[in-house]
Amino acid sequence: MRYFRQPARTALRVAVFLTFLSGLQAVDFLQDVAPALSRYGCNGSSCHGKAEGQNGFKLSVFGSDLDADYAAIVHHSRGRRLMEAAPGMSLFLLKATGEIPHEGGGRFAKGSPGYRLFLDWIKGGVPFLEGEVREAKGLRVEPAERILGQGEGQSLNVFLEYVDGGSKDVTWLAEFHTNDPGLADVDENGLVTIGKTSGKTAVLARYGGHVATFRAIVPQPGEFGQYPALPARNFIDTHIDKGLRDLNIHPAALADEPTFLRRAYLDIAGRIPTASEARAYLADPDRKALVDTLLESPGYVDYASLLWADILRVDSDALGQRDAYAYYRAIHSAIAQNVPLDEFVRKFLTATGPLPENPAGHFHRVNNKPGQTAAMAAQTFLGLRITCAECHQHPYDRWTQEDYYGFQAYFASVSPKALGANQFALLANKPPTAKHPRTGERIVAHPLGETQPEEAASGDQRPELASWMTSPENPWFSRNMANRIWARLLGRGLVEPVDDFRSTNPASHPELLVALADYLVQHNYDGKALIRLITSSHTYQLASTTSPANQNDEKNFSRALFRRLPAEVLMDAVCDATGVPEKFTRSAPGMRAVQLWDSRHEHYFLKLFGRPARVSPCECDRATGASISQALHLMNSPAIEAKLAHAGGLMARLNETFPDDTRLVDELYLTCFARYPTQTEKDQATKYLHRKAAHRQQAVQDLAWSMLNSIEFLFNH
Amino acid sequence: MKSTSHHFAPRRDILRIGAGGALGLNLPLDKLLAKQAAAKPVGNDKDDVSFIFVFLKGGLSTIDTFDMKPDAPSSVRGPFKSMSTNVPGTRICEYLPKVSRTMDKFSILRSMTHSNAGHGPADHYVITGYHPGPGFNVGLKPNNQHPAMGSLIASRLGPRGGIPPYICLPTMPNSGSSAYLGPDAAPFTIEADPSSPDFAVPDLLPPLAVDSARLDDRRDLMATVDRFRGSVEQQANSGSRELAAFSARATDLMTSLAAREAFDLSREPDKLRDAYGRTTLGQSCLMARRLVEAGTRCVTVEHSNWDTHYYNFRVLHDDLLPKLDLAMSALFTDLADRGILKKTIVVLTGEFGRTPVINKEEGRDHWSRCFSVLLGGGGIEGGRLIGKSDKWASDPAEDPYGPEDLCATVYHLLGIDPRSESLTPDGRPVMATKNGRVINDLLS
Repeated sequence: MRYFRQPARTALRVAVFLTFLSGLQAVDFLQDVAPALSRYGCNGSSCHGKAEGQNGFKLSVFGSDLDADYAAIVHHSRGRRLMEAAPGMSLFLLKATGEIPHEGGGRFAKGSPGYRLFLDWIKGGVPFLEGEVREAKGLRVEPAERILGQGEGQSLNVFLEYVDGGSKDVTWLAEFHTNDPGLADVDENGLVTIGKTSGKTAVLARYGGHVATFRAIVPQPGEFGQYPALPARNFIDTHIDKGLRDLNIHPAALADEPTFLRRAYLDIAGRIPTASEARAYLADPDRKALVDTLLESPGYVDYASLLWADILRVDSDALGQRDAYAYYRAIHSAIAQNVPLDEFVRKFLTATGPLPENPAGHFHRVNNKPGQTAAMAAQTFLGLRITCAECHQHPYDRWTQEDYYGFQAYFASVSPKALGANQFALLANKPPTAKHPRTGERIVAHPLGETQPEEAASGDQRPELASWMTSPENPWFSRNMANRIWARLLGRGLVEPVDDFRSTNPASHPELLVALADYLVQHNYDGKALIRLITSSHTYQLASTTSPANQNDEKNFSRALFRRLPAEVLMDAVCDATGVPEKFTRSAPGMRAVQLWDSRHEHYFLKLFGRPARVSPCECDRATGASISQALHLMNSPAIEAKLAHAGGLMARLNETFPDDTRLVDELYLTCFARYPTQTEKDQATKYLHRKAAHRQQAVQDLAWSMLNSIEFLFNH
Repeated sequence: MKSTSHHFAPRRDILRIGAGGALGLNLPLDKLLAKQAAAKPVGNDKDDVSFIFVFLKGGLSTIDTFDMKPDAPSSVRGPFKSMSTNVPGTRICEYLPKVSRTMDKFSILRSMTHSNAGHGPADHYVITGYHPGPGFNVGLKPNNQHPAMGSLIASRLGPRGGIPPYICLPTMPNSGSSAYLGPDAAPFTIEADPSSPDFAVPDLLPPLAVDSARLDDRRDLMATVDRFRGSVEQQANSGSRELAAFSARATDLMTSLAAREAFDLSREPDKLRDAYGRTTLGQSCLMARRLVEAGTRCVTVEHSNWDTHYYNFRVLHDDLLPKLDLAMSALFTDLADRGILKKTIVVLTGEFGRTPVINKEEGRDHWSRCFSVLLGGGGIEGGRLIGKSDKWASDPAEDPYGPEDLCATVYHLLGIDPRSESLTPDGRPVMATKNGRVINDLLS
């Protein structure tokens, strides 16, 4: 049988298994058979776990309803699946071993440990539970982390740890899964094999609803000379440096002033600097002072509001124009006041009363159902995606239906009531409970991962929810906020995607994530304090220049990543670089794209470059990818051409103001790239302008066109 | 080389920009053509076969159209009656009269089944042949963990001339992209409605004010101004690497006369345009035919609003079926009239079908356990019924097939071995389909 092709390891497993049997514990369904059903894939969503079952045999998906599973195996089909008189002739075993035709094939061989587990259970009279439930507290994988070379292997051992201090080897019953096939593969016995690439990854072991991970660190091969240590300006650099050393990746050098200038403007204020701002900074550069200035600029508020409006779903289709605008203003004014993040979140979570006075309450109106609002709160504020648990146990995390409905119950008490004149008030007058869809039981509002209280508290429980979420002990809130801020500045989250915190999706630098979160807590959830910390790190200030020692790395922060400007920022950059603002319909003149609050505003450019429709709270709703259409638009768009050729635009002004080609070229480079041209660039450009002197205005436009189409312009680098 | 339609016209500016030239590739046109010819995979005797994939997003109710159950109770069979077709014994919905007269040109697979009744993952499954795995992010655009059929085809077979090998119109399904096959296999998406009177592919041509001399200047400037173009940094960052690849393909597209003509529906007689229906679906199908004639290998037509949870019958009767009737009947007839049906695979499906039992809102909900797929042309026999559903079309009764098998059949007809492997950038081999079986009963 292919499932047990490694004789040496099988022998070991059998030995462990025999020890387990001689441990005098009888085999029961709850503690032994149920995990084995998951291990052998019986209850997967494409096998017997799918809604309709498979060939008349139905199990709950991923074992979410063990009572029903027990009944399905023991009692259904007139009990013909098991034969206690002749256990080996049980249909269940004949199918699982493939002795009689089974669509899922042979799951284990006759005589294998898996076979004997089921056999012993049948022989023992198919008990559901023998004795007391020994309460487990979690899973442990040994080793937890190892540096491995390409092509190397590593056997994992998995232990179930009990509250009473004991533990049990469950390796042979655990399921294994890799997050990066190709980097590290794992077989069903827990043997990890490293492929031909390098990096960090996690291999997951699951058993009975618990998850533990093994982290593989695979240094890239090659000799790159002396490791150039990353100077430690703060704790960020220490963590990043360790990660790079482990992987044999070298950090880039420090970015020069113009690069830092443009990057800081784009990341913090959501725009490129003007030529005069660039000139002033380059004459007297001070990185820290620049960050402080940008954090107090209107651009910071507009840009941060835009990004929050995405994930809080300022959606005029769902709310109507007037209310969407009011909702946006609530976000914008809170950010303008630099409200601490815990208070910010509380404002939306707990809003109540007439919405015209409490527009943050539109948070509870943008979705139709309390379940959707709950899922949005979990994803936006905690980075947790819990919707899988609406219908069954989350397949890749710990969340149960009880968690899901307990969380939903907080939001079930709230409903909008019409006030007349199409105005609404939020009333929280319903009980904070939800109904379990399968059992029909009432589930009382309670935090994720905690046991349901015996007694239901009455009244609106959202303030309690907000306190739980934003408490320094909450493991998700501060990490999620820190991770989002990190990702906005570095182009990639420590947890990626940024809003998918999962036991099976560990952070690339877990200790750094905790340290950043702690920093946020210590600074009273002041997002600006964290931005100051990160932007002052050497890591943030690295150049984007590659070397053979880091050119294959896009995950470990060895160099600044090229990030295409977001749709609105790019639109504004085109306007700023041409000196011709975009006229948005139904908007005040001079409105910048980052200030547009309505994601439904018809605009080809913005849509083409990935502005989110705000139909989900996922950051991924904002598309960052490239396309042929984007390339065509940048090259050929009549709208951009009109800006370049505009009589009142920058190209016309430059042509008139700077008869001296050298000065004109300086100005153009400062405008588009926030830097002075190199001598070669200057020579080439002036030579060109000189040659085209008869049509100088057009020549300037063509020069600017080539700059707008360049990677240097389109990307933050 | 059987496709001869990719000639380049000597038009003023376009040609002089030199394909790829604006992007630092700086290849003269003849060299570029030679390069394209050299890049062509060899040895595929099905090189002239193309694929039109009509994806009815939301999920076509096949129990009301192509697999009707007249003997079921009214709560299942609904109010629609069936009608005969030009294939004796085969009946389809009475509201598809034109399609019924082209029944001999396609077959109906009535036992398609899969395990996911959620739009996002089901789309991915049907469009790529792969059920999404952990970490599937339905909100991403694109959300591909595996390449769409069109991307796999583009990657394996390459372009036929200057026109993109894989085009989506008017929009790209969220799972319509190339995943690990990279930007060269990603679709070109039209992003405009071919049925609108002022339809044009946006930005296909340079602005009129920019003449050929200036286009040359711009090309030259680009080569000197963009310090990252062609650099190690460009290649070491996935975003800029993609952008550079797309820019090169954008320039190819601008220089292709075949492409420009294919996008120009006004070259079609009014009568034929009317026959397809002056709707987004109809004109998209017509453009799909023009595009495969011009050299595109796979055109995906995405049409939405098929998610009929509410008033299924009214919506189908008043809106969706009349559009479908014109578009599909005209497509099959037109392809046959031009003698290219034999070389053009047409597949029509949703991501799943709809519930046998009608819901309280007179709608039908998602149902992936059993639904029908239409297939015709390109080596598929017409007029056949393949597989069978049970009495209420709740499950396949005979010969169940999955999305893997659908993809395997399409790949096979295009000369791609369904079990052959592509390599991911990190060197991992992935099969074209996950053990998909070619549905031999469909083949002529």
